[in-house]
Amino acid sequence: MNCQRIQDELLLEALHDGALPPGAADAVRAHLLTCDACRAQLASLEALAAQLDRIPVPPAPTDRMRAGFQAMLDAEKRALSAASASPRPASGLDRFFARFFPRRPAYQFAASLSLLALGLFVGARYLAPETKRPVIAQTENTLANAASAAELAELREQVNNMGRLVTYSLLQQKSTSERLQSVLATLQLKTPDRRLLTDLVGTLALDPSVNVRLSAVEALAPHTGEDLVRAGLIAALPRETAPLVQVAMIELLAAARDTEAAPIFARLMLDERADPSVRETARRALAILNTPNPSTAALPRRPAITKTMI
Amino acid sequence: MLAVRAGDLDCLGELFERHHRRLYAFCAHLTGQPAAAEDIVQNVFHRILKYRHTYRDDGRFTTWMYHLARTCAADFFNKQSAAPTPVDPADLHGHASADPAPDAHASQSDDLALLRAALHRLSREHREILILSRLQNLEHREAARILDCSVGAAKVRAHRALKALRETYFALRQNPQPL
Repeated sequence: MNCQRIQDELLLEALHDGALPPGAADAVRAHLLTCDACRAQLASLEALAAQLDRIPVPPAPTDRMRAGFQAMLDAEKRALSAASASPRPASGLDRFFARFFPRRPAYQFAASLSLLALGLFVGARYLAPETKRPVIAQTENTLANAASAAELAELREQVNNMGRLVTYSLLQQKSTSERLQSVLATLQLKTPDRRLLTDLVGTLALDPSVNVRLSAVEALAPHTGEDLVRAGLIAALPRETAPLVQVAMIELLAAARDTEAAPIFARLMLDERADPSVRETARRALAILNTPNPSTAALPRRPAITKTMI
Repeated sequence: MLAVRAGDLDCLGELFERHHRRLYAFCAHLTGQPAAAEDIVQNVFHRILKYRHTYRDDGRFTTWMYHLARTCAADFFNKQSAAPTPVDPADLHGHASADPAPDAHASQSDDLALLRAALHRLSREHREILILSRLQNLEHREAARILDCSVGAAKVRAHRALKALRETYFALRQNPQPL
């Protein structure tokens, strides 16, 4: 133990404070026996500490403080009672309804659960006649109704599929090239199943990459005979923003001679904001749809669209 | 405090009666200005009222109160350092503090006045720990909670502050400067 260490490690202060473990305290005391300077320092420290204890408590605060506090507390109380009073004048109606609500949280929870169960039951019992509608339609033998119901069911299925696809792709977060490859892989298949076609339509509608969407159009091209594919194209066309993909979709629909696409073509043709080439293609596609004989009309091929253009 | 948080504001009056003197003493020692200390205590209770919803049951009320007092005091010191400080001796008469005049102190007890002067020359951190552990007789554990540090750190800080006080005090005694 030496003076330097005692200084550096604040050992005198610690000793005075009683904060040293017994061994260290003994070592410091042993040093103090031999060192006058350190002893003097400890003595001055103790004198100082004693003096510190004699520093008087500051004089009591003035009444101004208590008055200020009281005023503040009163103001807060007033604000609180005003806030609790103004929004609910405790009308008779409130009390009437309050009687129906249980006080204890457990009962409140049970009550809300039973209300939910009741709601579900009523909903299932009275709001689900859609499934019966085709049956009714068939009993009335109106084929048109049956067809539209089937279409509705199909569309619903498509929406469901798309939802699944969105979830799926959000979960997967594949890179663009991976998505492109999976679309290109479907090109090889001669007879892709419905599920795959739905996936392709979903890709066309939702994929953020122009390349991938364009490939999806190409992959869908051999299957425009399927209602599902045409419906998907028609659904996706208004959402499409890239001119290249728009043109490809219009050409595909025109080639398939899907008259249901006519309103969309007309809208695109008149759309001021659309790309000129898109409007031109829509105009020509509309002309093709309007020609009576499908065999003679063929859409003049535009230059092949390659991905290098993007 | 739990009652206050639940909306029973009358209980805050009780808390005020129980703690305001101690809190005022802390602030008065810290700032050296009784009027400022009164303002700080008022601010602290205002904040207790305003933030009563944030009070958590896991700490002690006094710890929370001292926390608020430290932030209020920090605000006060910031404001004070931002305000122009009078430097011309002629101005100083216009800004006489409410403290008893230094010479009155001197006749009463030279050493105590010197000790106060030394205390006020310390850094705020050192002054704070000395007030808590020496003048308010809090245990290191309690002081550590107030200062948001470990008990060991509070101890070391207290020892360092004591050493700094001793050095400042003796420096002042050797070479008295106008307070």
